[in-house]
Amino acid sequence: MGIFVDIYDAIMNFLIFFFSTWELAPWVRGIVGGAVIGGVFGGALVMVYLERKFLGDIQSRIGPNRVGGRFGLLQLIADAVKLFTKEDIIPANADKWLFIGAPIVALTSGFLMVAVIPFDLLVIKGNEYALAVSTMDVSILYLEAVSALAIFGIFMAGWGSGSKYSLLAGFRNIAKMIGYEVPLGITIISVAVMAHSLDIVEIVKAQSSIWFIIAQPMGFVVFGIALLADVGRIPFDQTEAEEELIAGWATEYSGMRWGLAFFAEYFHAVVGAIVVSLIFLGGWNGLPLIGNLWIPGIFWVIVKAIFVMMGMIWVRGALPRLRIDQVSDIGWKVLIPLAMLNLVWSTIIGLMWA
Amino acid sequence: MEIIDSFIPVAVFVLFGLVIPLAIMFLVKQLSPRSKSPAKFTTYESGSVPTGSANIMFNVEYYALAILFVLFDVEVLFLYPWVTVYVNDTVMNAVFGFSTGLAVFEMFIFLLVVFLGYVYAWKKGVLQWIK
Repeated sequence: MGIFVDIYDAIMNFLIFFFSTWELAPWVRGIVGGAVIGGVFGGALVMVYLERKFLGDIQSRIGPNRVGGRFGLLQLIADAVKLFTKEDIIPANADKWLFIGAPIVALTSGFLMVAVIPFDLLVIKGNEYALAVSTMDVSILYLEAVSALAIFGIFMAGWGSGSKYSLLAGFRNIAKMIGYEVPLGITIISVAVMAHSLDIVEIVKAQSSIWFIIAQPMGFVVFGIALLADVGRIPFDQTEAEEELIAGWATEYSGMRWGLAFFAEYFHAVVGAIVVSLIFLGGWNGLPLIGNLWIPGIFWVIVKAIFVMMGMIWVRGALPRLRIDQVSDIGWKVLIPLAMLNLVWSTIIGLMWA
Repeated sequence: MEIIDSFIPVAVFVLFGLVIPLAIMFLVKQLSPRSKSPAKFTTYESGSVPTGSANIMFNVEYYALAILFVLFDVEVLFLYPWVTVYVNDTVMNAVFGFSTGLAVFEMFIFLLVVFLGYVYAWKKGVLQWIK
């Protein structure tokens, strides 16, 4: 048995090295963190497939079934082959650098969001280490800041394409975002108020007894709606309304360049689902009353995120697209007062818990 | 842990964000066909020949909303630092001898002022989309 104890100790010592004391540790964490990007990329692929299948079920269709046997599982690979072998066209009328830069900015924004997502809390020799690429005191503020970068990506695409449809979509996107960033910010503050911290790890720890979806259901609803608008999914996809604007800001994009922009969008949706599962659904805390059931916390985070993703797809199947003035009205006249009310509510609850 | 340690992985991720799309586009350049024809590079306008410049002038209906957004966003920024100190603020403790409730009271007054401004903007019709 002695050798197992030695191996266990060696692994634990390495983990401690990895997380804190070693001076090169941040660099290694950043490079190994590329695997997390890959994981979320895989999650985005899963979401694309799930969306097709699930939407098919909702609309009484079969969905993809030709490629890869009965379930159409190889459809994604077929799509990837198609995207990789399509010609890359930059229109003569486009602003070349904005056109090339737009998907990169949108994708980088998604990557940066992943950097502070904690997946689990490991207890090694009595010390707690969050299983995240980077931990910081203000990670939820950082998360909101870098997620807003994607708006610049979409506006760069809209302006740089040199197409009227793209330009209209870019302006619509700004109109949408100025209405929904404020309720999003206020609900994030409401959550942070209950946890007395701006650190996502602390926010999840504060939910060990009661999830924030139970403590502030209104905040969850406001955050969910604002998040749907933030990641631009139906009913808030006015920026790429195919019946009105061809493909919106992505009209002039084709082949893999379009694929990058498309993936940036799904990347945001997946990261958004993970954020909801962390700040409202208890993160790695397992189920209330039942507890963790000795299953690793990362499993709980992923399962909850998949549930949120399914919810997003369900909303897409159930609701029609809103008009842009209705979107603006909902954001300014409904969500902002509700978010402020929720802030007052969560402050009072937070004071009572303190 | 020093603050710089938190942001080194972020810097590495920015590098990933630059390198991965460029690498993918390089791969696409090797794999995809190329054929030049002037019609291919025209702007799409439902199949007809594009007319005029794309950077047209049109009425931005949400001009006033955008100004209001700046105000609200600054308000939200004020709330962020307050979140961490409202329960036990050392400055408040030093001056008044107690802190719980005081910072909350102040922030509620601030929110009330912001809310009054919001109601005023609504009554003035700033939140209306179509003018």
